[in-house]
Amino acid sequence: MDGWKMKPVFLGIASFAIILLAWEAAVRLGWVNPFFVSQPSAVAATLSRTARSGELGHNLAVSFREFVIGYGLSVVVGILAGALASRFRTVEYALDPLLWFLYSAPLIAFYPIFVLWFGLGVPTVIALAFLLSFPQITTSTLNGFQNVSPGLIRAARSFGAGEMDLLWKVVLPASVPTVIAGLRLGIGRALMGVVVGELFGSTAGLGYSISYYGGLLKTTDLIASLVVIIILGVLCTQSLSALEARFDSWRVDD
Amino acid sequence: MKLTYRTLVSTLAVAAFLVVWELAPRTGVVDVTFTSQPSRVIAAGLTIVTAGGFLNDVSVSLTEFAIGFGLAIAIGVPLGLVLGRFPVLRHLLDPPIMAIYATPHLALLPIIVVWLGIGMQSKIAVAFVGGVIPILVNTTAGVREVERSWVVAARSFCAGKWDVFVKVILPAALPSVILGIRLGLGRAVLGVVVGEMYQSQAGLGNKVMRYGSEFRTDYLLVYVLLISMFGLVATTAVRTLEEKLWTAGK
Repeated sequence: MDGWKMKPVFLGIASFAIILLAWEAAVRLGWVNPFFVSQPSAVAATLSRTARSGELGHNLAVSFREFVIGYGLSVVVGILAGALASRFRTVEYALDPLLWFLYSAPLIAFYPIFVLWFGLGVPTVIALAFLLSFPQITTSTLNGFQNVSPGLIRAARSFGAGEMDLLWKVVLPASVPTVIAGLRLGIGRALMGVVVGELFGSTAGLGYSISYYGGLLKTTDLIASLVVIIILGVLCTQSLSALEARFDSWRVDD
Repeated sequence: MKLTYRTLVSTLAVAAFLVVWELAPRTGVVDVTFTSQPSRVIAAGLTIVTAGGFLNDVSVSLTEFAIGFGLAIAIGVPLGLVLGRFPVLRHLLDPPIMAIYATPHLALLPIIVVWLGIGMQSKIAVAFVGGVIPILVNTTAGVREVERSWVVAARSFCAGKWDVFVKVILPAALPSVILGIRLGLGRAVLGVVVGEMYQSQAGLGNKVMRYGSEFRTDYLLVYVLLISMFGLVATTAVRTLEEKLWTAGK
């Protein structure tokens, strides 16, 4: 089996190659109408054209800025709220109904109200990205902090650790996997907020360009933007998984 | 129900929120158009339910959800079982599945509308895409994580391949399957609602969009609360089933 360790990687690359080839071939052979599905070569050409004209860079910059601000806010607020809730029971119980609601409500439906509050465009998109991702981060932080082994805390206490030492040196490192798992799930939801927010209430960004070209029935441009969003989603999720492995390297398997 | 500290604090928090929400517009601190009020939302709810057409919207949205999510289960579970059993197929399909999983599935809305139009089909498709991926991924994981020793034990008692699959792997993977269904549920509901908000002729999401653009915050909130309640009830039902299965397996 040793020689086959790379097998999943090869098969994975083969998989994308097959999809692209089948897609291109189906269009070239006239089995499907390129008006509906476009074709990889046309999408690639559009990507390089929009990259050179600056359109792609502009949309990417707009979406990325909204994502960074919205997600950044929810990381700060989510971890703070989670930490407070894990330290004070009353905070946890008071936050509980709010988190439940934010989890089950179709928050995107609030976008007309956000437009009313913040106006069309960037602030509304940021608000959606924040609201979608912050409950996830809060709950994960709360779970992570609460599930720190009591043995570790007792040990640190008996060596005279104060409240701050406990937080920085015991609770945070011990809860890293759960907190980062929350951060990773939060990325997906923040990205969703950005894309859907732009779909409805924006005049720039990747989500806007998908919707714009969809309205014009320009499938090639639509799919080009979609491909960029897919790559962005994969990159963000992968980088957090890498972070997870790095920060958790102190742990020895029990 | 026993009045615990937990329920007391939670209830008080909700009550305080409602009181502030009701009083803030009265004192003129905030504009009632922006925030509405609990009393207005209740009044709007009564108007909506008693007026005609409400049941039509509910049935359109429910039908879209039921077909889309039903298809997601009908295709996601069998395909997940197959992927869990055949590693080559899994390695082949895993990268595209993960790529779709990492992408906001609602970004597919515009292309789906181009393909299927603005009728019910496009919402069914979005609900399907949203629901099927978590079901597929968790079913595959459930099959892969079945205890090896159980399979070996069944084999040593002369169980055939089919017996092992039906009597060992299937029951052992069931909790993961249900977990996938629970995760897919919320995404499917969101797919229907946002799909209707994006382009549609009827349905709850359609009304959210309509009242939103008319800035009828009270009407908008009634629909948002209805959808939330549906999501909450459905998720709780699946969660209960999940807990029953976990305890039954022990």
